[in-house]
Amino acid sequence: MSMVASHYLALSRRSIVNTIRQPISIVPALTFPLMFLALNSAALAESINLPGFPRVDSFLQFMVATTIMQGALFGSIAAGADMARDIEGGFFDRLIATPVARTAILVGRVAGAFTLSFAQAWIFFGAATIFGLEVEGGLLGMFGVALIAGSLGAGFGSVSMSFALKTGSSEAVQGSFPALFIFLFLSSAFFPRELMTGWFQDVATMNPLSHLIESARHLVIGGWDTGEWLTGLGIAAIIFALGILVSGRALAGRLAESA
Amino acid sequence: MVHKEGEHPVVAESLVRRFGKITAVAGIDLRIGAGEIFGFLGPNGAGKSTTVRMLTTLLVPSEGRAEVAGHDVVTEAAAVRRAIGVALQDAAIDPLMTGRELIKLQATLHGIARSQWKSKSDELLELVGLAAAADRRVGTYSGGMKRRLDLALALVHAPQVLFLDEPTTGLDPNSRQAIWDEVRALNDAGTTVFLTTQYMEEADRLAGRIAIIDDGAIVAEGTPAVLKSQVGDPTLQVTLREGQDVVEAERVLLEFGEPVEVPAGYCAVRLKGGAGGVTGVVRALDEAGLGFDGFELHNPTLDDVFHRATGRRLEGTEPAEPEPEEVEASR
Repeated sequence: MSMVASHYLALSRRSIVNTIRQPISIVPALTFPLMFLALNSAALAESINLPGFPRVDSFLQFMVATTIMQGALFGSIAAGADMARDIEGGFFDRLIATPVARTAILVGRVAGAFTLSFAQAWIFFGAATIFGLEVEGGLLGMFGVALIAGSLGAGFGSVSMSFALKTGSSEAVQGSFPALFIFLFLSSAFFPRELMTGWFQDVATMNPLSHLIESARHLVIGGWDTGEWLTGLGIAAIIFALGILVSGRALAGRLAESA
Repeated sequence: MVHKEGEHPVVAESLVRRFGKITAVAGIDLRIGAGEIFGFLGPNGAGKSTTVRMLTTLLVPSEGRAEVAGHDVVTEAAAVRRAIGVALQDAAIDPLMTGRELIKLQATLHGIARSQWKSKSDELLELVGLAAAADRRVGTYSGGMKRRLDLALALVHAPQVLFLDEPTTGLDPNSRQAIWDEVRALNDAGTTVFLTTQYMEEADRLAGRIAIIDDGAIVAEGTPAVLKSQVGDPTLQVTLREGQDVVEAERVLLEFGEPVEVPAGYCAVRLKGGAGGVTGVVRALDEAGLGFDGFELHNPTLDDVFHRATGRRLEGTEPAEPEPEEVEASR
């Protein structure tokens, strides 16, 4: 294995082990989406009968893709917060005083964010299955959704890391949380776009998250569709590419002080 | 480790670092010989950590240049990083990982083969007395244990030069002694050590050569013995018996050297010609009929060296060194 690959692997492992060893840090990313899922599935159960609502078994089936992406978004904050804690605690300096491949500093955390979101997707599927969820896309559909979630988590994790690298403050990273909420609410996460009206529908249509969630949702309510899957994954990949770009620039900015 | 004669693993020339309008390091020159323990002594805020950060490639100098292990710290930073071990202030260790895992991570980052790191980690953990705690998470370690692990991490790749930034600050006397013993053992094995400290005793006991830094500039440099001898003669402080004539006692002492200011009830003199003058003082006080309860002979300390160079005392001066982040934020 090349030295750079071994750095990627070692720092990815550290990131994942850190998450496993402080499960409390991912509790909000698991419980809030589940709470939303439970509340909405109960409160909006009848809304599936509205004309124009996609054909679904239950609101739970409609909502579960949202829950998974919501978990990925909330979980992505952990990547930034952990990076900020490394900076605040001095571990970042310890890393850069070694011959570590500079890109491994990002890759390690990105891998952690991907793994967390991917694993969370299965937990959400598991929980929803207990309450009667049936995924029309089967196991392949679930895997496809989990991959989209992982990529979205890695993408927003990269954005979150750019805050950390710019500010060096975990509080500043946590402060970006409301922005994610707004991003999610101004999408078709909680209701079909077809039933929206006016400016809200326009904003939701422009919001890439709507299209990503709709693609993932299709795999749950409509069955496996390679085109839909690639659309969702493609949007996540674009967010990931932008995230890597901004976090890469932020890392370069922080490293510019060092030799 | 065999060193070539005249080899200087750390060389700095007119090294300057500014943070906005603040000059943290104001043009220092250093030349540290192979196999030395070099002590960099100064109060908080003197510029010690900033200097270490420049020498370890964590901070680019504003002016001047430095070479570590024969490589330029700016243009050959990667080569410098491969040759140095660094333990920065406040042992920055991931509390969620175990000591052994951190050593493995550090070994991987230094490109040490998997087949080697296992025996290496056992050896290092043994060296710093952490073999029994190797598989415990670092969050459960005491401050002294974290420092010792920090030291082990800095040694994973057998560095040519070891930088220790205030390695014992905040430690209890036993832990401090343990770190000192380890640093001495490493140095005996040939590692060049660059040590910053704000403790005179640490510099005095560990370092073969010392530079005293104040306000970003080196104000004195040499071996502890030479620096102290430059301060001058020892001070003899006499505790007069109650009711004795202090003015008369001071007049007697004047024959033996310069007077030194001391609290009421005492009188003191900087003994011309060293400690040998004590018997003369005792005899003269006796002949003058002046009674005394005791006397103390103080040899010059590094604090006296610092005082002579700066007019201030080393311990108890606490202006905090502007951390790079803080300074940048205030720009």
